[in-house]
Amino acid sequence: MEFGPQVLENIALAGDAAHIPDKIFAKLVTCACQGVLNEDQRNIVEENPAFKDTNKAVLKAAFSGLVTLIIEAAKHDSSDQNISSLLEECKYTADKINEFSKIFLPQKPHIQLLLGKIGFSFPHIVDVDWRLDYYIKNNNVEKVNSGVYLISLKTEIPGEHELKDFQFSCTVEQLQDLVGKLRDATKCMERIAQV
Amino acid sequence: MEEVDRIIVHSLRSIGCDLEDDVQSLRQFTTEVIVSTVVRCLKVILGDIDLPSSLPPGMSARFRLGASLANHVQDLGYKGGDLGYQTFLYSNETEIRKIFMFLVEKLPKDTSQTADEPMGSSVLLHRAISTELGYQLSLAWLPPYLKDKGVRTRTRPPGWQREGAFCLHHFRGRHISTPRSVGSLTVKIPKELRSYYTNHLPYVTNQTSLHRDTAPSVMETNVLEVASHQEWENEWNQLGLASRLTQQEFKRRKHERLMKMVKERLQQDSQHQNGPDSRAAASDLQQILSNIEAQSKNTGLRSKGSRFAHTEKLQYAADEDKAMTQVGANVATKDTEEEQEKKRQEEQERLRSELANITSDLEKLELEVRKFTAGRQKMEEIIASETKAIVEKKDTFSVKKRTLDLLPQAEDNIAKLQAIVDASRQRLANLAKQWEAHRDPLLEQYRQLGDLNSKRESEAQKKLEEIKQFRERMKETADDTRRKDELYKQLISEYERMTKDVNRSAYTRKIMEIVANIKKQKQEIDKILVDTKSVQKEINLLTGKLDRTFAVTDELIFRDAKRDESVKKAYRLLAALHENFEQLIQTVQDTGVVMREIKDLEEQIETESNKKILSNLEKISADLQQMKKENSGLLAKVKGK
Repeated sequence: MEFGPQVLENIALAGDAAHIPDKIFAKLVTCACQGVLNEDQRNIVEENPAFKDTNKAVLKAAFSGLVTLIIEAAKHDSSDQNISSLLEECKYTADKINEFSKIFLPQKPHIQLLLGKIGFSFPHIVDVDWRLDYYIKNNNVEKVNSGVYLISLKTEIPGEHELKDFQFSCTVEQLQDLVGKLRDATKCMERIAQV
Repeated sequence: MEEVDRIIVHSLRSIGCDLEDDVQSLRQFTTEVIVSTVVRCLKVILGDIDLPSSLPPGMSARFRLGASLANHVQDLGYKGGDLGYQTFLYSNETEIRKIFMFLVEKLPKDTSQTADEPMGSSVLLHRAISTELGYQLSLAWLPPYLKDKGVRTRTRPPGWQREGAFCLHHFRGRHISTPRSVGSLTVKIPKELRSYYTNHLPYVTNQTSLHRDTAPSVMETNVLEVASHQEWENEWNQLGLASRLTQQEFKRRKHERLMKMVKERLQQDSQHQNGPDSRAAASDLQQILSNIEAQSKNTGLRSKGSRFAHTEKLQYAADEDKAMTQVGANVATKDTEEEQEKKRQEEQERLRSELANITSDLEKLELEVRKFTAGRQKMEEIIASETKAIVEKKDTFSVKKRTLDLLPQAEDNIAKLQAIVDASRQRLANLAKQWEAHRDPLLEQYRQLGDLNSKRESEAQKKLEEIKQFRERMKETADDTRRKDELYKQLISEYERMTKDVNRSAYTRKIMEIVANIKKQKQEIDKILVDTKSVQKEINLLTGKLDRTFAVTDELIFRDAKRDESVKKAYRLLAALHENFEQLIQTVQDTGVVMREIKDLEEQIETESNKKILSNLEKISADLQQMKKENSGLLAKVKGK
């Protein structure tokens, strides 16, 4: 977990009782968590009457420092000790460190989930529909007589709201091959999980 | 023995021997298992060794394998009795136990050492990943419509996890601005900036157009700052300290240098661009150039500029102006809008030609102006030199006039002049003396100051070196601390994992118990020894007493026997009695010896029977039969050929 000097200064500003009174510090931390997590509360600090008397420029700086700290701490999955050692460097009192941890740590998994949503993914298969047809003949061949599987994979695609179908047909061997591949992939996952 | 067996079996399993789960003691080991485990142990101890890990079918091959195993074990330094193929092929429990104890002791310890070494953070990460994956694999499948946009709630441990791809979005970092140095009292912020911070700047979470871009933007901003800070630290440590400038100065110099470079490049490029299609670019260029100029002027104002930079600016000013006019000409024509096509175009053409005329006029005029300025400068120079000449001539004229005035009364005037000259000379000498008097202390002072200065300079140099050293040491210490912190964390996690492994503590406890048992046994042995000693002493005492009593009795009765016949008989009886009893004692002692021998023999029988001689003998005879068969088969083959 590393911070630039400007960010550290802002974090220290949030812990400085001369600028941010002890009373509203906890509220500010809560607001920082909420503001990062919920879209409808992104402007929560401005709307909150508790911060009316504070110098707005300082408040904005302190808020940005806390937001950066919260996001980075969640990103690195920092433990209580890591955070407290960092805050001690920023001259926080023990009470404030406790307060911060008390508010932040329960929110950490949520923020991690939020951060986990940033990324890229191939279409994600969640379900499958299938049908087995019996293929008797066509205009060129009088007698084919083989089974054909119609597979429709239901996938989730990032940014869409509905499941999307991927359809294809295959013979028994091809399907077996596909199933074998899937089984290999599952085995791989299990092997990784066992290390 | 149970304990020993369990330890041996455990360590054999830990080096990868293929043992059944229910194997607990060495008694359960068959010949195949013994051979394969011994081979495995030897492979672990000696590294590369060419032995088959399973028992070969042919008898002679088995015999050879057993012999080579015995050789290898003896090469390792085994000193427990005679070792041969029979030890492995026709095993008995005690010998095998001895060999395995020896081999287990010889097993390299480094396998356990590598486990002790702290693991890298990547290993820890891998482990965390695998536990998380293991947990997720153990969960039941959930249909997608039960998840909230691909996010699954779970109860133990409480939280969420992502399954599916609906909720994913790309990493988009936007620029985020935060108030800078509002808290510190040393830095002055302009009033306008402060009012912007206070009234108009949105909060960090409200700055991006989409809320989901907030986190990426914040992360990117922070990373950017960290990276640029590190870069600056490096540069400052490498170049900045050596240049002996303050940080601001160094930054300013660098800024100037960069600006100059950019400006030169832009100017070069703008000269290359002459086509009409480059107008849009030209307008941008003009803006950038003017920006640069404004900035460099600003920096000049702020820092008052070094003389070097100043002169340079003057030099470039003319070129810049030219570039500006060029660019400006292009831009002005471009500004017209196209609504009424023809009229506009005509007007445009007209304006363009007019503009071209004006520009060419302007250029001409400028050239003229420049020519005129050059002419004016030349004239001014001439005027200056002329005035100088006039002044000089005036001086010579006045001197000559005075000399001419003096000529009529030459004698007097010469004397007067002489006097004046003398007086002047004297005054000069006086002044020189005074100057000398003043000069000496001043010179002294100058020298002292010079010395002081150089000393101070060298001191500053020294301090600079020291600062550098301190910086390095600071960095080293910080690195060290970080490394140690990491190590500490790893070790703690390692320790947390270790506690699950009760084997070690169980072993220690067992060892302690064994030691206590041995102590108890030793005490008992001591007790028995003491008992034996006391019994021995008693026996000695009694024999002594008996001897003495017999001697006394013998003497008494012998004395009486001379006188009395009956007593003589009693004496004889006494002698017989004594002899009988002596025999009895002897017999008792013999019985004891025999008993002891019996016990020894019984023990021997036990050990012999333990060695499974009968079954081994049967096996050996069977093997012999097989060998013979093989041999005869081989002979038949040879003969057949």
